[in-house]
Amino acid sequence: MKPNSKHSRRLIRAAVAVLALVALGGLIAVAQADDTKPAAPKKLTGAELYAVNCNRCHPERYPTEFNSAQWQTIMIHMRVRANLPAKQAKEILKYMKEEAGN
Amino acid sequence: MKNNFTPRFISSAAASCILGLTATQPAAAAVSDEDFNALKATVQQLQQAHDQDQKQIQTLQQQLGETQTLATNAVVAADAVAQAQANPPRNALHNFTMVGDAEIQYAKTYGNGTHNGFELADFAPIFLYRANDNILFEAGFDIMLQNGSASGTNSYNGVAGSAYTHDSGSSTSVSLSFAQMDYLVNDYVTFVGGYMLLPLGTYSERGAGWLNKIPDDPLGVEFLPGAGAGAQLRGAYPLGESGQMLTYAVYCANGPSSVDGTGNAYTLDGGGNKISNLDLGGNVGIQNDGNNGNLHSAPSGGGRLGWFVPWGGAHKDLELGVSGQTGSWDDASSYTWSALVLDGALHVGPNVEVKGEYIDTWYNTSDAGTIRPWGAWVQAGYKLAGLDWDMPVISDIELVGRVDKENNGLDKLGSGLGAETRRYTMGYVYYITNTLLFEGDYEFIHSCIPGSSPLTANQLIFQLSYGF
Repeated sequence: MKPNSKHSRRLIRAAVAVLALVALGGLIAVAQADDTKPAAPKKLTGAELYAVNCNRCHPERYPTEFNSAQWQTIMIHMRVRANLPAKQAKEILKYMKEEAGN
Repeated sequence: MKNNFTPRFISSAAASCILGLTATQPAAAAVSDEDFNALKATVQQLQQAHDQDQKQIQTLQQQLGETQTLATNAVVAADAVAQAQANPPRNALHNFTMVGDAEIQYAKTYGNGTHNGFELADFAPIFLYRANDNILFEAGFDIMLQNGSASGTNSYNGVAGSAYTHDSGSSTSVSLSFAQMDYLVNDYVTFVGGYMLLPLGTYSERGAGWLNKIPDDPLGVEFLPGAGAGAQLRGAYPLGESGQMLTYAVYCANGPSSVDGTGNAYTLDGGGNKISNLDLGGNVGIQNDGNNGNLHSAPSGGGRLGWFVPWGGAHKDLELGVSGQTGSWDDASSYTWSALVLDGALHVGPNVEVKGEYIDTWYNTSDAGTIRPWGAWVQAGYKLAGLDWDMPVISDIELVGRVDKENNGLDKLGSGLGAETRRYTMGYVYYITNTLLFEGDYEFIHSCIPGSSPLTANQLIFQLSYGF
């Protein structure tokens, strides 16, 4: 039973840590929300979605680093790898292809 | 005679009058030659003008025809260009792209008697081939260099001495990290099949190589299979328009296996050394004798649920995930291996990041009960650009720190394999460019094996990482 007790304690500690993280995020979100008046949800552009999603895991890659055909390939790779919603991935791809210029 | 003359005279006079009367009218409408000639000239001029107009009309019609031909040709050409742009010429490289990363290191480990040295830590290309807009083949490799080994007998002046085994020469290892087909079924479902990265936590999919801000892997991730042969469904559902989303992944894979096929906790390698009997990296479907099949009766099942919520635009977001896998691991399918992973990542503005994972695994054995390898890590980074010092080099540096711990759970039966390791890491990342990173860290490492003295082997690592 001792290992199970240790296991339970670890799980509890992990759950507490996760909850603390959620609470911290929530507090920050609330603090941010207090600073601004409630506004209607605004649809994010491809550039904004690119900034929101891509920097989560790696430094931003400039659109001119690849051409349009390559971005089309890479975006399928990233859509699967990062589990991006299809519409967001399409908006990001549209932005990258426009900025790639070729 | 007189009587005959008179009637003839009268008749003649009457006839003359009639003729005179009838001839009077034409004499009144007559056109003079001058007028006639003028009129004739006018008619001729009009005729010439008409002829010129006709010629001009013909010329204009001809020009119009040519213009129409040009316009038609232009439209055809524009269509051809648009078609060409929409469907660029296909060649062998058109849908092929290579991404990936490479790392070189300079490392020094203190406390184990080794010298510092340079090394090619990794060259890890990922080959992408887009068959069409919905199908992608991708395969990642890890290519590394390692010293070879030589054994023999020392010789001095031709006199044989003692036997030796020593590093000599080098060997190159090439391993397949993953090779999978991605099929975008619709906006919400993607099928993945092959030797695929497993979504146990996020590190194996999104943290390895140059993406990690510290040169080596966190403790605990070694207790998870990074990839497995199987099939997977995954996707994401956006929540509103703010970028918030729920993500999911469910999969089945052959699962872990047993080195010797039994459910025993330990086995002996070719040199007679005791090793763990659990093999997380094998069981890929094609057996050593060429037959196909899982090494045990049923595949493992697993999955991950994630929640991502940004607030206030970019760089302010929270992601939480829970994932797990379970299935048999011995040939007789009598014993089960399971894993539970909690992962989280928080960005508070563009300069602050905190992320971590809690990894818990457990598997039943025939002779040592339940073994519980587990690990946990938390990593934080702060970009000095947040200080607004307007100093180019300083502003390109990110300070990083990590606390991680693991226990391999192998202290059952006094095997001598059990170890608990604690590590404290502090370091930096200097962003030379957005894809070229110069990293350095110092790690305080403490290991403890039950019944033995604690081991301390601190480590200094410098790494140049390039993502492509």
